[in-house]
Amino acid sequence: MIKIEDLSVSFQGRTAVEHVSFSIEPGEIIGIVGESGSGKSVTALTLMGLLAEQASVDSGRVTFDDTVLLEAGRSIDKRLLQKFQGSRMSMVFQEPMTSLNPTMKVGKQVEEVLQLHTELKGEEARKKVLSIFDEVGLKNSDMVYESYPHQLSGGMRQRVMIAMALILEPELIIADEPTTALDVTIQAQIIALLKEINKRHHNAMLFITHDLNLAKTLASKIMVMHHGQIVETGTPEEIFTNPQDDYTKMLISAVPQRKKRTCNNAAQRNQKSSAAKGLKSFEEDEDNRKSIAEQIIENLQNVEKEHQEQCVQNGSREILRVSDLDVFYKEGNNSLFGGKKKKQVVNGADFSIYEGEVLGLVGESGCGKTSLSRAILGLNQNYSGQIQHFTERPQMIFQDPYSSLNPAKTIGWLLEEPLRVQKVGKDDRKQAAMEMLAKIGLDETYYRRKPSELSGGQRQRISIGQALITRPHFVIADEPVSALDVTIQAQIMDLMMNLKEEMGLSYLFISHDINIVYQISDRIMVMKDGTIIEMGETEELFSNPREEYTKILLA
Amino acid sequence: MKYFGKKLVSLIITLFMVSVATFIAFQIIPGDVVTSILGTEATEEREAQLREELGLDKPVVERYVNWMGGVLKGDLGTSYRYSKSMNEMMPVAELIGDKLPVTLWLAAIALVLIIVISIPLGVLWAHSSSKFLDAFLGVMTQGAMAVPSFFLGVLVIYIFGIVMKMFTPGSYISYHTSFAGFLGYLIFPAIAIAIPKIAMTARFLRNAMLGELKQDYVRTAYSKGCSKNRVMYGHVLKNAMMPVITFVGMIIAEVVAGSIVVEQVFSLPGIGRLLISSISTRDFPVVEILVLYIAFVVIFVYFIVDMLYRVLDPRISGR
Repeated sequence: MIKIEDLSVSFQGRTAVEHVSFSIEPGEIIGIVGESGSGKSVTALTLMGLLAEQASVDSGRVTFDDTVLLEAGRSIDKRLLQKFQGSRMSMVFQEPMTSLNPTMKVGKQVEEVLQLHTELKGEEARKKVLSIFDEVGLKNSDMVYESYPHQLSGGMRQRVMIAMALILEPELIIADEPTTALDVTIQAQIIALLKEINKRHHNAMLFITHDLNLAKTLASKIMVMHHGQIVETGTPEEIFTNPQDDYTKMLISAVPQRKKRTCNNAAQRNQKSSAAKGLKSFEEDEDNRKSIAEQIIENLQNVEKEHQEQCVQNGSREILRVSDLDVFYKEGNNSLFGGKKKKQVVNGADFSIYEGEVLGLVGESGCGKTSLSRAILGLNQNYSGQIQHFTERPQMIFQDPYSSLNPAKTIGWLLEEPLRVQKVGKDDRKQAAMEMLAKIGLDETYYRRKPSELSGGQRQRISIGQALITRPHFVIADEPVSALDVTIQAQIMDLMMNLKEEMGLSYLFISHDINIVYQISDRIMVMKDGTIIEMGETEELFSNPREEYTKILLA
Repeated sequence: MKYFGKKLVSLIITLFMVSVATFIAFQIIPGDVVTSILGTEATEEREAQLREELGLDKPVVERYVNWMGGVLKGDLGTSYRYSKSMNEMMPVAELIGDKLPVTLWLAAIALVLIIVISIPLGVLWAHSSSKFLDAFLGVMTQGAMAVPSFFLGVLVIYIFGIVMKMFTPGSYISYHTSFAGFLGYLIFPAIAIAIPKIAMTARFLRNAMLGELKQDYVRTAYSKGCSKNRVMYGHVLKNAMMPVITFVGMIIAEVVAGSIVVEQVFSLPGIGRLLISSISTRDFPVVEILVLYIAFVVIFVYFIVDMLYRVLDPRISGR
């Protein structure tokens, strides 16, 4: 149906896609997997005719049935492309918030596709939009029609995008990382929806993702892209059981797996369950949430006590104790007369962290995990309950290595900064920075470089170095690998594990991705709507989750 | 409704503070209205008599309270310097009422010119892929913004008045005599006011549109099969107008509050000229009311801008 032959695309002389050929047959789901910069999105945009003006097609062509949509050396026929765009092929983008026009009702935005390609008008068009909203699982389609993007949740916005792509039943839907910006539970729903649509309408789908596992669940054929080339093509089984290319092998090994771990402190401790007992009803019973939450908290306190006793027996020192912590934040009102509202974001958190332990904290965006870490760090004083530090204040590793390093300073300066605050002498500072560079796996030449010369993974190494240079005992890592590619993620996780053993650190490791937390943590806490709903030894929690919500996260 | 209440209260507080500040400023700056009226040769008795007539012999606070009380009752006071007839001074309300239409009409014409020309120009500029047009408009707008307004006024008089003979410079026609003639004369000072503002607004709109064109939703619109025109007018323009509205609001406030330099160059009897002469003659009642008027215009225009935002941007009214 669609044929891409020998396609090469470059941006101002830099090649983004190199001699790529493949074809898509009706009803087929093809997954393109690759890391950022691998050319997977550029391939999709070329196919859609959405390349930026600076891009040039150096070789090859794209044919849709018998029509040549694009050919190297020929000027782009925009009229022709516009006829295909939206009606015979359509696209779902990554970020549903910014991909919808913020000042236009979403119903109108979907209806625009009808205006462009059909004769439908007025009430008829509206009806068609409402019916497609129903089909993609948007309840209250009337209300959704009249909503603006900011009034909808991320999942609903992505459903609107899918409705927009689906409304004229195109032969090809291209989905570019359609779930990356969404929470885990919503991700699963969107993937299920895409699968269902494919089954019902038999349209072909090109699914672009960085996540091999996701491609495996959805696609019938997977193509792995690396440096603008397709390095391997095959069915998911072939790719996973018998990868041929070295890069594919590396990609598969880097995917967080729940493999059995050896050598951790948890194994030395009693393996007895310490998960909260029998409180599945938190989700279902809306009315009694508060009392159930209290019950959970009480149970967890008992669990904590047990754990504490064991740790004391083993001679581990307590590093941090959080008891009965409620965290609030003020909703500022900037006008002259507005009062301040207080909003509770963490509810009754109660836990301790011991020497050499890694405590994982898992939850979706908005669950309060970052608010909890800010309270522990002392950045938010607006809390009740107790936070006791038994060592010096913790250090922090941040999520985004691109924006958290001052671009004007050298790496050496950045690494020395925490020591400068502590008034350490110049020579000692430099020596400590050099030692830290060696520890984080970078050579001495990096001392004089600037952050802009470093890759994302290298920058995150610097952030880690900054956190560790004062030789703390306790480090909070808030989504330290979420902004990185999978292969880099694995390297950073290794580094963090090694440094932990070497320097005897304790981590509070925060992530939305339970599989990453699994790799490193001794114990895991699951947080939802501000409450820690489940806590347990990692293996125990994985093999025997108590809460429905935890099961969804694990699925 | 609560929102309106808050806005109203803050308007009143601001106006009160402005009036106090103006009053205090007048106490501090050197120069005395009595000496300015009678000259330095007057006898002390005559000075004291005039001081009493004007109420200047009373303590500062009492004078302010009396003045404020009058204003609240709708009596804006009388000018110290302008007389209505031989033995009656000109009430401030009448004085300003006579000059305000000149400034307001001038502002209205200028604003129509600014909006009607700058918005299509900005869109055209953002839309065009012609390198020549881009460079041409870039140089033209930069030039228009850089030239000081008095020189622009002189230039307009020279080109339209002396070379093209479209009007006779200095022959201002009062709106009492002929309204059409009045408007016909005002067009030229309005052009002088509008030119730099048109340049600024067009440039601002172009930049806003180019910024919006980089947004993800533009790519979505293209993926639906929208043409460039449809993307520009159907999606980008409305979003790009948001910052432009604030900008135009600032310009409106500036123009309505009086274009002092241009009124001077074209010798128009508007608010701007009245303000200058009243300050130099220490005509306190006139200055105080004019300053309040300007403060009110600025706050009111910003209020309207705020309202417009609420109508145009659903993200704001939703909160």
